[in-house]
Amino acid sequence: MPNRESPVVRLRGVTKSFVGTVAVSNVDLDILPGEVHAVVGENGAGKSTLMKVLAGFYPDYEGDIFIEGTLQKLSSPRQAMSLGIALVHQELSLVPELTVAENIFLNREPGWRIPGVINRKRTVELAAQVLREVGAKIAPTERIARLSVAKQQLVEIAKGVSRRSKVLILDEPTSSLTAPEINDLFRIIHTLKARGTAVVYISHRLAEVFAIADRITVLRDGVKVESAPVSEWDEPRLVKAMVGRDLYSFFSRSHHYAQKDLALEVCALSRPPHFEDVNFKVYKGEVLGIYGLVGAGRTELAEAICGLASSHAGRILVNGTPTRIKSPRDAIASGIALVPEDRRTLGLIATMDLRKNLSLPVLGRLSALGFVRQRRETEMVEDSIRCLAIRAPAVSALVSTLSGGNQQKVVVGKWLNANPKILILDEPTKGIDVGAKAEIREIIDRLAGEGKAVILVSSELPEILGMSDRVLVMRQGHIVGEFARDEASDEILGACAAGLAANHAGRLPYGEREQTVNGG
Amino acid sequence: MGPKTVPVGQGAVQAAQRMAPTQVALALREYGIYFALLVVVAGFSVIAPNFATMRNLILVLLQVSVTGIMAIGMLFVLLSGGIDLSVGSVLAVAGMISGMYAQREPTAANIVLATAIPVLIGVACGLFNGTLVAWAKVPPFIVTLGTMYAYRGFVVWYRVNPIYNLQPWYRMIGQGTLGPIPLPVIIFFTVAVAAAATLNLTRFGRYVYAVGGNQEAARAAGINISVVKLSVYTISGLLSGLAGLVFTSRLGAAQATSGTGFEMIAIASVVVGGASLFGGRGSVGKTMVGALIIQFLQNGLVMLNVPSTIQQIIIGMIIIGAVWVDSVLRRER
Repeated sequence: MPNRESPVVRLRGVTKSFVGTVAVSNVDLDILPGEVHAVVGENGAGKSTLMKVLAGFYPDYEGDIFIEGTLQKLSSPRQAMSLGIALVHQELSLVPELTVAENIFLNREPGWRIPGVINRKRTVELAAQVLREVGAKIAPTERIARLSVAKQQLVEIAKGVSRRSKVLILDEPTSSLTAPEINDLFRIIHTLKARGTAVVYISHRLAEVFAIADRITVLRDGVKVESAPVSEWDEPRLVKAMVGRDLYSFFSRSHHYAQKDLALEVCALSRPPHFEDVNFKVYKGEVLGIYGLVGAGRTELAEAICGLASSHAGRILVNGTPTRIKSPRDAIASGIALVPEDRRTLGLIATMDLRKNLSLPVLGRLSALGFVRQRRETEMVEDSIRCLAIRAPAVSALVSTLSGGNQQKVVVGKWLNANPKILILDEPTKGIDVGAKAEIREIIDRLAGEGKAVILVSSELPEILGMSDRVLVMRQGHIVGEFARDEASDEILGACAAGLAANHAGRLPYGEREQTVNGG
Repeated sequence: MGPKTVPVGQGAVQAAQRMAPTQVALALREYGIYFALLVVVAGFSVIAPNFATMRNLILVLLQVSVTGIMAIGMLFVLLSGGIDLSVGSVLAVAGMISGMYAQREPTAANIVLATAIPVLIGVACGLFNGTLVAWAKVPPFIVTLGTMYAYRGFVVWYRVNPIYNLQPWYRMIGQGTLGPIPLPVIIFFTVAVAAAATLNLTRFGRYVYAVGGNQEAARAAGINISVVKLSVYTISGLLSGLAGLVFTSRLGAAQATSGTGFEMIAIASVVVGGASLFGGRGSVGKTMVGALIIQFLQNGLVMLNVPSTIQQIIIGMIIIGAVWVDSVLRRER
């Protein structure tokens, strides 16, 4: 039996850098058997990177990792697994066309009498046993593609358990789970803990962390801030450790939003199953925050307004004129631009340089007879780099070599060049460092000051509260609340997003609502 | 120099030594292909006596021009993230129908028909490929594999027997020269310059790179992806049709079997030239160098009396080696 007191994993001075950025810097960490160890921090704090080092994904880390007291050089996920470390990814890594049992025993299939032939019956039996152990009610013969995300996650956990892993790392396991599913997960975590398995729980949801963790370690900007038993933490202290300063100090907000010139109106917009009957208005010079949990339909809504996905029903009015938006081109022509949540798939073209990325949406304006006017392009690109303080070695540098924050500025810059009247930013500060976050927020503030209508979609409460003039809350595809700046608070928005409280103002006729807001 | 400066100097030297490999790798990545061409040419110049002559150089350029023109068309398609396997068959269809008019008297109508028809046929074939890829959303590999068979089947059905009695005026295109330089070489270089200008200077060229680099981001940036895709297959078809005209004229015969396997030479040229099969990366200059490397190898091996079977083995291995070296140099630290 493992000694309850000696750490199963001991990290000493672990550092991992990517081209141009240090993601994890000199981190010490002890993981004890039978303990749930929460690692928390803001997006981009280095939690996932650290765990990927531990799971063998980044063989070029620096520092020492001891597993059960022995110094190990973790050079591949396979090796980490054989040492008893299992990582359940934020992005699941199951093969959708195979069954649950086949996935659990992928690459370790029980053999049959003839070598190389899989013993299917035994595979299913073993899988059923593991699934019973973790208390998951899933048929081992079901195909993964037919399971909900929550059940897929349980399969991932079962996979880790079936390897008799000593350390199970759960990376943001609840990001797409409902409340009862989260309870199931917690029950399983307790079972594992009782068996002496160390569970590393990565999250930025504080309530969950307090509910499940025995010990909490906070990372910020790749550095370990503090590690202590859960009893020594309380929520304000944890938040302060995560954010590193007073919560609102780094939200610059200088624009004064007063006038009510309508910029965009969305009427009864629906795109089942993502969202239904969404109504709202945005005014010139306003920052409208849209808050909600992951999966509430915010990204899908933003994509529908920008023509990336077609909406099923409803109307969009730009400056009071009904506008048909069937493609991103239509949206751009109507002065609507989206800074997408996932900049790598929708925002940037990694094989192109900084210059070409920045000018892509506006080449039409920069061209004469189909030829790109190089000098005008250069001027515009240099302007963008200066205005947004993009730090890059040269305009001919590939965007993939820039840091996350600078990549995000390129995406923002490219859309600002298109000179939109309405700018939608979906999680604009996700996965970038604190300094760049502040800069992006400054830019948002400046844009509102210039009279643009800004829609800020975010799941970071401080960001929503610090930036927005008005906040909409989405839950399960519906707008469930609308709050003026001075009405909104952490508790109210959080409760509303979780469905514990509702403000049905969002469903009131808009005229009445405005009066209320103005009167308040 | 005081003793204290020594460690500083050493540090600088060490820093330079650490820097050197990555900079060499960077330079190799950028210019390695030209270096490889140089090595091939220099190597054969030493071991094959008649290799380094003006006559042979012009011969190699003449030999490379047909597949070179096709490779440039292929570059557009590969840059957009697609592939065109039908180019050899398009060459045969275009060449055969061009040959039908090239038997006739040199009236203005016949001259125009014999030269314009192959190009138009190429455009039509390319449009068909492009429509299926862009709007029916059938994977390009499947579409052009299918049309590779279909276009070839069509031309064999249309006329099995070769046409040999092509008029002298028509043979001029493939066999004539301007000064010492064969006309096909001039056509090849003209196409290359036009293609390079299109890819580097025009909005459309940017869109081709963008679509191949990240289709979803290109769409989000307001680019009409279907039009870009349709265009690249049309360009590939057009250039294959033009290659059909040049090839038929140079050969002095129109054959239903012409161009068999040329799609592979075209793809190999582009890929040896450092382009990515996944799109977004590649250039006209390097494609020409890639085509030249393959042609010089063939030419030099013939001069050394290497049997054609062994030639194939060597060239096949060199294609794999070239792409492997490129991927190694490209790998991030």
